[in-house]
Amino acid sequence: MDRELHICHLYYDILNLYGDNGNIRTLEKRLAWRGIGSKVTQLSFGEVNRDEDYDIIFIGGGQDFEQEILVKDLFDYKEQWLKEEIEKGTVILGICGGYQMLGKYYEAADGTRVDFLGGIDVYTTASNKRMIGNFVYEYTKENGETFPIVGFENHNGQTWLGDGVKPMGKIIKGYGNNGEDGTEGARYKNVFATYSHGPLLPKNARIADELLEIAYERKYGEQLPPLEHEMEDAALNDIKQQLGC
Amino acid sequence: MSARATIAVWAGKFTTKLLRLAGSGGTSLPGKVVLKICPDILGHLAKDVKIICVTGTNGKTTTCHIIRDMIEAEGKTVFCNDAGANLLGGVVSAFVGAATLGGRIKTDYALLECDEAALKSIVEHFGQLDVTAVVTNVFRDQLDRYGEVLTTVNKIRAGLSQLPNVKLVLNADCSLTSSLSDLPHSEIHYFGVNGPLYEGTSSDISDAVYCIHCKTKYQYHYHTFGHLGGFYCEKCGYHRQEPEVALTKVIEWKDASSVIEMDVFGQKLEAEVMLPGGYNLYNALAATEVAHLIGLPNEQIAKVLGGLTTHFGRMEQVMLNNAPLHLVLVKNPAGFNEVLQFLIQQKPTGNIVFGLNDNYADGKDISWIYDVEFERLTQAASGAKHFYFTGKRAYDMQLRLKYADFDTSKFSVEKDYKTLITQLQQSRQETFLVLSYTCMLEFRDKLAEFVPLKKYDAS
Repeated sequence: MDRELHICHLYYDILNLYGDNGNIRTLEKRLAWRGIGSKVTQLSFGEVNRDEDYDIIFIGGGQDFEQEILVKDLFDYKEQWLKEEIEKGTVILGICGGYQMLGKYYEAADGTRVDFLGGIDVYTTASNKRMIGNFVYEYTKENGETFPIVGFENHNGQTWLGDGVKPMGKIIKGYGNNGEDGTEGARYKNVFATYSHGPLLPKNARIADELLEIAYERKYGEQLPPLEHEMEDAALNDIKQQLGC
Repeated sequence: MSARATIAVWAGKFTTKLLRLAGSGGTSLPGKVVLKICPDILGHLAKDVKIICVTGTNGKTTTCHIIRDMIEAEGKTVFCNDAGANLLGGVVSAFVGAATLGGRIKTDYALLECDEAALKSIVEHFGQLDVTAVVTNVFRDQLDRYGEVLTTVNKIRAGLSQLPNVKLVLNADCSLTSSLSDLPHSEIHYFGVNGPLYEGTSSDISDAVYCIHCKTKYQYHYHTFGHLGGFYCEKCGYHRQEPEVALTKVIEWKDASSVIEMDVFGQKLEAEVMLPGGYNLYNALAATEVAHLIGLPNEQIAKVLGGLTTHFGRMEQVMLNNAPLHLVLVKNPAGFNEVLQFLIQQKPTGNIVFGLNDNYADGKDISWIYDVEFERLTQAASGAKHFYFTGKRAYDMQLRLKYADFDTSKFSVEKDYKTLITQLQQSRQETFLVLSYTCMLEFRDKLAEFVPLKKYDAS
């Protein structure tokens, strides 16, 4: 296999609470089934090797205990690099804690702030609302085509979007960013950020392919070959139906 | 006994009788009635009895079963709460059931399976009494229930801190469990496995990567499974304690049992544990430690372990059209990975059924199926004839196996249990059914229309 996408699993050993590895596996498999290679680099604490060129960066969700540990590392070693990757259009998927972390800050109930990366124009505030359950939102592609995304959300933080970003989708069922404004997730350049935690990509093959298409086209200047997603759609449609959507 | 407590016991017994007459098997209602009348009833009833509490994420029910057999082998009497009825109401019901009308308990031991979150409410009235508390392990459980493993540890901690004289029996290999050692106690004992359980055990999935004390990444001399093993922290020095009951060698893995060598308080003991899978060895070690503490001699311990022939809920076998069906319960990633290890040893050539529901008791969030290492089974199950998927989230389960490179031409989804059973019946193949909790209950209900089944006994 000549062609290969390079995937970075950032903080793979900390932000992996909810089956996040399912996302990496989906990217790998959906490339392999097209005859395209993939290389996954697991990146944790410490310096980033700046000679490595990543096509896709994935950041998952974690436990509060473990998330505390990484903020220091984020500023010590990753800040400049991640901001550059965002601005130059690298495909980045941030989920749950990974989503919040890409934003500007997290504000606790007592007003104290934890600074985050500040890579995208969103911030998160603590709430006593537990936003948990299966949820459905509608994603709109560049060309106006839409498709539903189904996942599971579980967060207390309410995320608010600034002017610099668009939502990733419109809530059909569930809470989304804050349970108030009907938005879910954030889109900025090629950053995709969502509360749909854990294995978002397996049964949402169309968003998985959207990430792969963009990354592939950026690297090779060609369209990614198509791939069926029948079994993926079956899982998606089944739960959508159970949710009455 | 106060008049109030006595009346409460009577009311509880009366409710139990009514429920039986009504044909209901409900086990927690009598407890609720009793608590309404006398909230500190356990303090009254527990005075005359030695108490053993078993808590932790995985293995509570099985460990209780083995301890029960150990106590009876010692010639002592014991009562237990029904498996699954492990909240306060269920424990109170069990006490009331065991009490005389005068409110006296005549058995030697009360053996209580305790839900981690309910532990505090159960033990808070035991105060200075003679309590032994076994903590089997702490793993990520249903994610939407406790949120994170530290929450679970803290709930157990809150419970045990009510018992300044407790005898603690802890899993040495679990860094989360072992961290409870700083609680007040009269005695502390550990059980554990002194080396890797399986060849090439990986540490891919760990629920405790960073030191609970100083947040530095743990180092390991070896892994047994999940985050269990010979852990140590280079920074603060927190490390695995040397267990007094240790598995020193697995001499032979068999289909439904294993022959092991243990060190029991300095003495070598060889035993065949008549339970399948490595996770049951931890349960056997925990029960062995309790047995030693209550004075059961080693040869008796080995005899009990070798005689565990009663049906265990986690693994049940029935015959359907002359072919064996093995029913296996799975509740969380760690348990599921152990079941996979068992399946790998079996090299199945018949059917495998995976059933997943997302009801509250199963966990509403099914993300965790991506933390189950199905990839390890792909090769070993390549000889299987067919894979069925059932339950409310059958399609998600099917997809999980697609992404683990299973042969999708052998897949079918069958959500209707009756149709599924008919298909299994016609196939006449040995079948392993790996089902989540409520899926197991529903499936067994249907299966009972085809073959006689015992009352379900799992939690």
